[in-house]
Amino acid sequence: MEIRISKVSKHYFSEGKTIKALDDVDLTIPANQIFTLLGPSGCGKTTLLRSIVGLETPDRGEISIGDEVVWSGQRHVFVPPERRGLGMVFQTYAIWPHMNVFDNVAYPLQTRKMSREVIRRKVEKTLQFVHLAGFAMRPATKLSGGQQQRVALARALVAEPKVILFDEPLSNLDAKLREETRKELRTFLTGLNITAVYVTHDRIEALALSDSIAVMREGRIIEIGSPKKIYFDADHRFVADFIGRANLIKARVTAQDKETTLVDSALGRLTCQKRDIAPGSEVTLCIRPEFFQFLPEGEQTSTNIVHGRIESLVFVGEAYEAEIRVKEERLISKIDPDASLSEGDPITFHVAPEHCLLITQ
Amino acid sequence: MFKTRSVLTYSLILVVGFLTICPVAMLFFGSFSKGLGAFGVFTLDKYVRAYTDPALARIIVNTAIFVFGSASVATFLALFLAYLNNRTDIPGKFMFKVISIIPMMIPHVLFSVSWVLLLNPTNGLLNLIFKQIPLLQDFSLNIYSLWGMILVEGLLDLPIAYLIIAPAMASFDVALEESSRVSGASTWRTLFRVTLPVLRPAILAAFILGIVRSLASFAVPSVIGMPGRVQVLATHIYQMISTGFAPDYGKAAAVGMSVLATSVTLIFLYRYLTSESEKFVTISSRGYRPTVVELKKARYPLFAVVALLSVILIVLPVLVLFYTSLVPYSMVPSARAFSMISWKHWADVLSDPVSLLSLKNSVFLGVVGASLGVSLSLLVAYVIVKVRTKAAGILDSLSFLSFSFPGIVIGVGFMWFFVRTPLYATIWALLIGYIATYLPYGIRPLASAFVQVHSHLEESSQVCGAGTFTTLRRIVIPLLVPGLVSGWILMATMFVRELTLSVVLSRPGTEVLAVQILRFAEDGLWGRLSALGIIMIFISTTLVILATLVGARFKPVEGGG
Repeated sequence: MEIRISKVSKHYFSEGKTIKALDDVDLTIPANQIFTLLGPSGCGKTTLLRSIVGLETPDRGEISIGDEVVWSGQRHVFVPPERRGLGMVFQTYAIWPHMNVFDNVAYPLQTRKMSREVIRRKVEKTLQFVHLAGFAMRPATKLSGGQQQRVALARALVAEPKVILFDEPLSNLDAKLREETRKELRTFLTGLNITAVYVTHDRIEALALSDSIAVMREGRIIEIGSPKKIYFDADHRFVADFIGRANLIKARVTAQDKETTLVDSALGRLTCQKRDIAPGSEVTLCIRPEFFQFLPEGEQTSTNIVHGRIESLVFVGEAYEAEIRVKEERLISKIDPDASLSEGDPITFHVAPEHCLLITQ
Repeated sequence: MFKTRSVLTYSLILVVGFLTICPVAMLFFGSFSKGLGAFGVFTLDKYVRAYTDPALARIIVNTAIFVFGSASVATFLALFLAYLNNRTDIPGKFMFKVISIIPMMIPHVLFSVSWVLLLNPTNGLLNLIFKQIPLLQDFSLNIYSLWGMILVEGLLDLPIAYLIIAPAMASFDVALEESSRVSGASTWRTLFRVTLPVLRPAILAAFILGIVRSLASFAVPSVIGMPGRVQVLATHIYQMISTGFAPDYGKAAAVGMSVLATSVTLIFLYRYLTSESEKFVTISSRGYRPTVVELKKARYPLFAVVALLSVILIVLPVLVLFYTSLVPYSMVPSARAFSMISWKHWADVLSDPVSLLSLKNSVFLGVVGASLGVSLSLLVAYVIVKVRTKAAGILDSLSFLSFSFPGIVIGVGFMWFFVRTPLYATIWALLIGYIATYLPYGIRPLASAFVQVHSHLEESSQVCGAGTFTTLRRIVIPLLVPGLVSGWILMATMFVRELTLSVVLSRPGTEVLAVQILRFAEDGLWGRLSALGIIMIFISTTLVILATLVGARFKPVEGGG
């Protein structure tokens, strides 16, 4: 089901200051996609999610899920959360400690007054789906973090809602388990016909899970796009910086080619990806650390060569993390771990034009 | 090092074991003896006579109604207050702190008396006021009844129930409720299927502690129950040992055995429940602002209810006592009443040798008893928290046992012991009895203080080059000071107002304040009673303030705690 959010605002007052948790948000979440709200803490993403569920009421605007308006400031519509028919996985999982796994998962069906037999069948099926078959009679608090997380997912899915919401569901798991659960979640969700709204501040989670990502800051949505678009082709400096590590360098557009844009910068003259910007404009050049391609001595390429000196070199296992000084700029870059380099060495790089991103905002 | 620790552990087991097991054992043997003098001659006679008493059935029914009623009142009110404080936007949240702490400074016997002064059928102030209101002329409330006892005892047990339920409510993960709403459950269904069940261990723990405390309560049954001829087990036992020519300590012990057994069982149930409620703690929320229920229109009416409760709990009792201490006899406040105000009752009390003696004794017991009690608690808490051997576990259970002691029953047990020693009828008998009965109240704050002194703190001090003594002085003691102070305050205020144990152990020459107040109540000397009562509250408050000031001096400069 599609979720439409129009002109939604929500302000908090605390310690004499007004905090705009949501500032005139307009957003359409397409049906049957995994849609992620990504942003730093305090950007309003959780408030937006909770407004969709109905656990929080905005000050102004309108929210509709499918054809039903679930909240409207002007028309005084408020559908309480229990009548919105959604599923939600909480950050703390919110597994009820006084019930066993079966009762936890059966709860949404019991509130919908289904027959015992139907409930038993559906719970069993859902537990199987999340790989928890045979756990039904366990006390919920006796499960591991990852298992509790799957109980929470089962409970959110059991009533077959058209929309499921996730509020940072992986943030309480340790790093390794988080990676596994992330993959699992992706498989679970793509197998279903369901709209998923996912809130996180973890960029890797967002990139790995989503069909679309909306990046938020200070109560506003800055940019929406596919993970690749957000990573490679961000329109905003904030987005490019937030989604991954980036070198942001001041530059000036000098000329437009057929397929590229040329700029002058501290790194010299560079051929960049095509952007429709008038020559003479100030822009930000964004290059991610992994796109500096180290050229061993003797190898030559025609364009986009950068010369510098290694200031520091840290071996982190899968790569060297190097700080390279190029005139006044200090760049971070990732270098192949078997390159024989040491601090103080001169170094030469090539950067492919398609990885030289130009940002104007 | 390890040797001294185990020597310490075993000598503490001996001391605490003596304090807790001795009265129980003496009660047990006493119940099979012919009388205080004939100890050791086995007889079942006392049990036969105690349990074939035709009045007993009625007394047990009364006790059950009283105990369950007051525990329900206390638990319900505590739940209501804890919910308002933790989960709603009610104004004036400081009041909840006041409600949970201040009533502990008002002795139970005075609280009961103040309600007698307000609601007794002949000249209770509120009843006198009702007579002057046109439509209420024939309306009057009689406090001397079972419901009166339930109400007053419920209010007395409210603070302790609140202190158990409020933390559980505060650590409650709101997402548990929210996920229920999202799953399609209404507010009410959520309340009954999720909120209350999750809080169930804490609610039950508060309820059970309420039962234990009202079972042990003597102030309310004696001040309110006896004039109304409502007998409960505590007053039944008291009458066996205090009235008539031949006090029957054997029969009292026989009845006491079942009261004690009930109480001990309940306390262990309580202990099990509190550990169970810790298991219910799931992964806790990180930093998300908990949703506050907006009360909207109900905000100020509910605030008024809370304000009324704090007036009933604190302001009204003190005010009534003070007023009564100034007027010659009970009368409605009026111009005439105020014209007759005098300090006569105060002068009477301050020139009454027995009152002065009880004042001296209570202050002595409060200061010396609390200091000795806290010293013992310090060592016991250290062993329980830091040594943690099997023997330390025994010490833990032993010290916890006295938490369940109903004062009057344990007093009877001690009586059997003290008559055989030169301690009988001395102030030291009271001192030992007090410490034995109230030891857990000293151990608890100190144990939690010791928990805070993580061993890494001591170890890092040692690594920094400080010796054992310096570590103790600079690190351990400063961190313990808050626990020492609150343990001392708790014990001192309890000792100053102690009644239940004292009515059994106090003899001419060792009168204490609460017993003297009970005597005044029995004689209907309300004015003197009130004057002495106000002095008693004043002493408790002074001790609290002094202890807090002393504690503040020792507090590390960094503050923090």
